[in-house]
Amino acid sequence: MTCLVPGAARLLVAGACFAVVTGCQPGKKESAQRGYRGTGMELIVDKTDIDRNMALVAAGIPPALPPAGPPTAGPSPWRNVQVLTDVSPAELTRTMLAMSTWVAGTGNCAYCHNIADMSADTSAGGTPLYTKLTARRMLRMVRDINGTYEAHVRNTGVTCYTCHLGQPVPKSTWVYDGNPNQVERYFLDRKAVRVQTHAVAASNDNRSSVKQTEWTYAVMIKISRGMGVSCSECHNTRAFNSWEQAPPQRVQALHGAEMVRHVNYEYLMPLNAVLPASRLGPMGDSPKALCSTCHNGAYKPLYGYPMAKDYPALWGRTEWNGQPFPAIPASAPAATDSAGAGAAAPAPSAAPPASVPATPAPSTPAPSAATPAPAQAAPAPAPDPGTGAMGGRGVTGKKAAP
Amino acid sequence: MLEYQNIFTRVQVRTAPDPGLPIDLSTGARYGKGTFNYWIGKIGDAQIGPIYLGWSGIASIIFGFFAIEIIGLNFLAQVHWNPIQFIRQLPWLALEPPPPQFGTHLFPPLQQGGWYLLAGGFLSAAILLWWLRTYLRARALGLGTHLAWAFASAIFLYSTFFFQPLLVGSWSEMVPFGIFAHLDWTAAFSIRYGNLYYNPFHALSIAFLYGSAVLFAMHGATILAVSRVGGEREIEQITDRGTAAERAALFWRWTMGWNATMESIHRWAWWFAVLTTFTGGLGILLTGTVVDNWFLWGQKHGLVADYPAQNPAAAAQMEQLRGQYAGVQPSGFPGTGVNDTIPVVIVAEQIYESVTKTGRVVTQAILFDLAQATIVADSRAQLDEIGKVLSEHPELTFVIEGHTDNSGEPGANQSLSEQRAGAVREYLITNYQVLPGRLSTAGYGASRPVASNDSPAGRAHNRRVELVAGSQP
Repeated sequence: MTCLVPGAARLLVAGACFAVVTGCQPGKKESAQRGYRGTGMELIVDKTDIDRNMALVAAGIPPALPPAGPPTAGPSPWRNVQVLTDVSPAELTRTMLAMSTWVAGTGNCAYCHNIADMSADTSAGGTPLYTKLTARRMLRMVRDINGTYEAHVRNTGVTCYTCHLGQPVPKSTWVYDGNPNQVERYFLDRKAVRVQTHAVAASNDNRSSVKQTEWTYAVMIKISRGMGVSCSECHNTRAFNSWEQAPPQRVQALHGAEMVRHVNYEYLMPLNAVLPASRLGPMGDSPKALCSTCHNGAYKPLYGYPMAKDYPALWGRTEWNGQPFPAIPASAPAATDSAGAGAAAPAPSAAPPASVPATPAPSTPAPSAATPAPAQAAPAPAPDPGTGAMGGRGVTGKKAAP
Repeated sequence: MLEYQNIFTRVQVRTAPDPGLPIDLSTGARYGKGTFNYWIGKIGDAQIGPIYLGWSGIASIIFGFFAIEIIGLNFLAQVHWNPIQFIRQLPWLALEPPPPQFGTHLFPPLQQGGWYLLAGGFLSAAILLWWLRTYLRARALGLGTHLAWAFASAIFLYSTFFFQPLLVGSWSEMVPFGIFAHLDWTAAFSIRYGNLYYNPFHALSIAFLYGSAVLFAMHGATILAVSRVGGEREIEQITDRGTAAERAALFWRWTMGWNATMESIHRWAWWFAVLTTFTGGLGILLTGTVVDNWFLWGQKHGLVADYPAQNPAAAAQMEQLRGQYAGVQPSGFPGTGVNDTIPVVIVAEQIYESVTKTGRVVTQAILFDLAQATIVADSRAQLDEIGKVLSEHPELTFVIEGHTDNSGEPGANQSLSEQRAGAVREYLITNYQVLPGRLSTAGYGASRPVASNDSPAGRAHNRRVELVAGSQP
């Protein structure tokens, strides 16, 4: 396995951790006002530190590959394409090359693929290529995030590099440790953080305990550490539960938590059937995401560096920021228009994934079931099973999958 | 002439140790003859001992030893009896009170707060006995009992950490034994009850605490400053005001406009100290019992400065964002329910009706730890209803079916569903004396879903236990 990891990327996590604000670190501090004057809602940052980290991050980010050019006519040369069915073959190749840089080292196709048969999901010996199966699932995940979680990722979006930072395994993930009250389970199936009463008087409506509150506290610290921010980034600490007094970032964070849970349920948990035992946690579960998986200690992943806009295949939709993507056939119904999408495709939130099982069997004999990519001019909305599987979780700003 | 002109004592007396007044030996003996220590003499009387304990002192020390021993051994057990880890992790080690599901149950399992209650009981006994000792010794020496009552005020605050949980109905509210643990508790207690900053008794307590410190410093400084003119003889100066008292009084009148007296300054200090803990205790007692959110209380009563809203979300959106209370959850911490809705418990009558009409009953209210067959405590409600049906209708037999969702490997799900069905059967047999022959088990893994496995809600439906009416034994 070739590992072309930029040293800067390796330093990123360590460097970004130092951006966490503490009162006793040396260096010049700057404070940013985060709330109404007089409320003490300030974010104190070490500007030198942030600048250095930003420079480090920017230096580590691979430059965007040259555009793939206009789509050419004719059938796609690639077989067994299951996710990137809505992009031109050239764009697909370009995306694959970029992905190799982001995860496995530039041009290291063999990290995922059987070089003798690029379409195969198994090696020459017949063993499943877990890296390829994982990558396919992760690609679905990225398109789901970029395509439907605009409320959190806006137009910046995510790429493989956001978490992977050029390495095969993201640094910041979590697995079960066997403790039923593990803090990270907030990012999966335990979201009960709300402990404060919405009325003056005590009543039996709110039976939350002080212990529950300690758990809430731990969850919140996990989130804030993961992003290098303090409590007042999202709260007026005099009344933690008040949305009126909370900065708008709190809504952003709530969307993020919903997104992480969705991603963990739909994409990362089921990987335990694909990944080898060495990649699993002590309880046999696959590594899962939390805030720091993408944020890596920075208030915005990669300090907001817009990588994903150069890769139309990662969006699962036809436009970016109102501009049509160059390499995506624009004939599909307008993806952002929920009425239009609703007419052309089944109801997005209620639609179960069309074909792909949630837990892909490791021994899928896929090559024989190779599906040709749809012709570029096809008006069909190219239903992508991955992006449609929203499972009805209530997230505002969600859009129909193209 | 010797003078007190320094911040530490410069005069040390060396003679035969003073044994003190003769005592009634029937109440206990003095230990030791007394000795001198130079460095102790720097900060106080150089003589150490003899020590009198009496029965209350001895009992207090014994109880205190038990409390510390229980706490310490629990800490050691937590680091698997590794002394090095004990020292390294000491600040983070904690003996926690029983989790919420035990309410104010008197005998929770030792590992789940039982040790805590024992240690707390011993510690309380030790403190009360030590109080008694201060009271009895003061009486025996013919002193006033000011110290005992000041100490009692502190014990009152300590006791509210017992009585508040009692009023709220949960031992889990009590303060854990542990260095960071009790600090974490402090933060969590304030957050849970909407910010103790707005609790007026908390504010009073802080004012008295700061006031105590200020009075202590003012008085100490004043007496040291006038000690060159005999000010350290405070008692004499009370009744026979000399130049020291006059100068000190003048100093404060000129600088502050008013002065306490050589006598009243001690009443000031005593009351400030006593009121610190007394008002603090009142604040604790009112929290969670009368007021559940101090910020909102402060808002209601005009304590809270009003700032413009920071969040542009509309009122309706706010309501949506607000969500639900965490509530007391199965293991006392967060919920296992995916959507934090506690599954509905099907009561005995409904179970019987469903079984007689449809031959089966489905419940999601039996919860297990993730990927394990351990029944979480809050499932007892549902299991008890099933137990009731089994007791009331001895003719019924059941096949207990376990079902999982499709996350994880099929093989693991299969065995998990079998184990979970088995755990339910075992619970019913143990707790309801059901004849084992009346209950059999089956596990179906994820093979019989009742909802789509593609959404968390659907998967929650699929994780279930079914009771299928069986044939007569």
